Amino acid sequence: MKPIDIEKMIDDRPNDGIFRVHADIFRNEDLCELELKHIFEGNWVFVGLECQVAKPDDFFTTYIGRQPVIVARDSGGKINAFLNACRHRGAMVCQAAAGTRKHFVCPYHGWAYDSGGRNVSIPALAEGAYPPAFAKEDHNLRPVARFGNYRGFLFASLNADVLPLEDHLGEARTFIDLVVDQGEDGLEIVPGTVNYTFNANWKLQIENSADSYHFVPTHLSYIQLLGQRKTAEAAQRPSYLSNFREVDARRGSFTFAHGHNVLWGANDNPESRPLYRDIESVKRRVGEMKTKWMFYTRNLLIFPNLQLLENASLQIRVNRPLGAGKTEITTYCIAPKGESREARTLRIRQYEEFFNPSGLATPDDTVIFESCHAGQQSDLVDWQQGYMRGLGAGDPAISPEAVELGVTPVASISSSAGICDETLFHGPLREWRARLTRALGGAPT
Amino acid sequence: MTGDEAHRIAAELLYREALFLDERRWDEWLALYDAHPEFWVPAWRTDDTPTADTSTEVSLLYIASHLELAERIARVRSGKSAASSSLPRTAHIVSNVLAEMEGDAIVARSVITTQIFNIPRREQHIAITRCEHRLAAVGDGWRIKRKKMLLLNDYIPTMMDFYTI
Repeated sequence: MKPIDIEKMIDDRPNDGIFRVHADIFRNEDLCELELKHIFEGNWVFVGLECQVAKPDDFFTTYIGRQPVIVARDSGGKINAFLNACRHRGAMVCQAAAGTRKHFVCPYHGWAYDSGGRNVSIPALAEGAYPPAFAKEDHNLRPVARFGNYRGFLFASLNADVLPLEDHLGEARTFIDLVVDQGEDGLEIVPGTVNYTFNANWKLQIENSADSYHFVPTHLSYIQLLGQRKTAEAAQRPSYLSNFREVDARRGSFTFAHGHNVLWGANDNPESRPLYRDIESVKRRVGEMKTKWMFYTRNLLIFPNLQLLENASLQIRVNRPLGAGKTEITTYCIAPKGESREARTLRIRQYEEFFNPSGLATPDDTVIFESCHAGQQSDLVDWQQGYMRGLGAGDPAISPEAVELGVTPVASISSSAGICDETLFHGPLREWRARLTRALGGAPT
Repeated sequence: MTGDEAHRIAAELLYREALFLDERRWDEWLALYDAHPEFWVPAWRTDDTPTADTSTEVSLLYIASHLELAERIARVRSGKSAASSSLPRTAHIVSNVLAEMEGDAIVARSVITTQIFNIPRREQHIAITRCEHRLAAVGDGWRIKRKKMLLLNDYIPTMMDFYTI
């Protein structure tokens, strides 16, 4: 295998009206290895929510790339993240998904750690005839290199040489705020874990959520089904898509630094949202403008693994590559704390119906990703043409919506729906290229 | 009604439901259900505890009306859903049936494993469920009032729908 030339994976010549992507970025296992090492295990990734470790000694387990980690609140109340690997022989010290524990005890030889990851016991230490050098070693669970908490969203990096978290998130934070501020007391996760996989590349998912072009053809059966719901029974399940009219919707996007982006759309059916019941108190708290944005559809990507989506319902979707052609998805239904039972139930039904792997929308996406993955094995169609819609519209000026929100993104587009812009995909791909180029010793472009 | 009679009715209905799903006889399948049915796959709260309240917790699938079951069938037939267009071949294997009367209803517990062959992918997987059917007497027959399917392997390959579980 010859060395991979990252620069040649993306044909990026905006002045010539060209942006093409080579199919290798979706299918090449060596490239996926580099992505795991330098993107997922080499920079900030989302690991979970603070509300998952609400009390001292609460923990949950997850993965950063291929590496198992524990996120735990120690007995003193501080949240930490450390590798879920005993310092003795590497066994995972915790197999449970979540719980409350003062200690993590390795099942193999009994080394024990407290909820802050500090080693508190090495059985038969005194009788062990350890050499003096052993005492000089650090026996604690290995903490991640960087750990950060932005308004309850927990991020970690296994590489210390990264930007401060707030700089990494940049102005994309505005769109995290639009979710966190929906409830006076913040967010909570609605119980019930949903995990699924699909046999295709992870980047298909992050592009799909920024892709307004696919919505009607891919989800036509769902759109038609909602249009046919006229009975009283069906009216109990409103959806923002109930009177979906493609041509009317104003849409746009923001491209932020470091690979983050947002696809947004006006919502002329705000009363379908559970939050509508509290709209007056939300307005009093955050003002008219931000309230309006809370009711817009907003698909936020925090590169590379967090999607915070508010369209049919509100979802956190976390992706993890298991290989070039296999992706694991973990999703959370999140909600303002303290919303009424009626609003909560509506939220859950809207969530299940759209987002679940049993839903009426997501399966059409994931099955098509697998179809893409099969087609992308074709050497004769190596250059993908799905990145040029909108490229002829000229320089994306600062949109009125960017001015309204007070953000200065790298690019912002605001238009009628028909353009179905694809230049929104460029930001994450340029970040992808810059990170891999830098990691492989080249000059970032 | 004797326990034997309840068991015979429940087992036959469960086998018939499996047959209709496997032979894609959707209308006959839907006709097995009560006019106000519940079709429920809980999610898992933790490794050991499934969700119990559909109003406050996420389910893997929760359908609480005849209309929505019919919608699922219409979606399969529409030809406009990629996920529903290359239907898998399935075999629902019903076993460990235990039935008893609860008031006027028959409650049947069973284990149903669905063997699923994905045709375009040339791959197969199994959905393992512990099921509970609640049957209600309607006219001179029995209908499914509620079907609860506890999916044991909730690491879902790509998608699931009413016919894969």
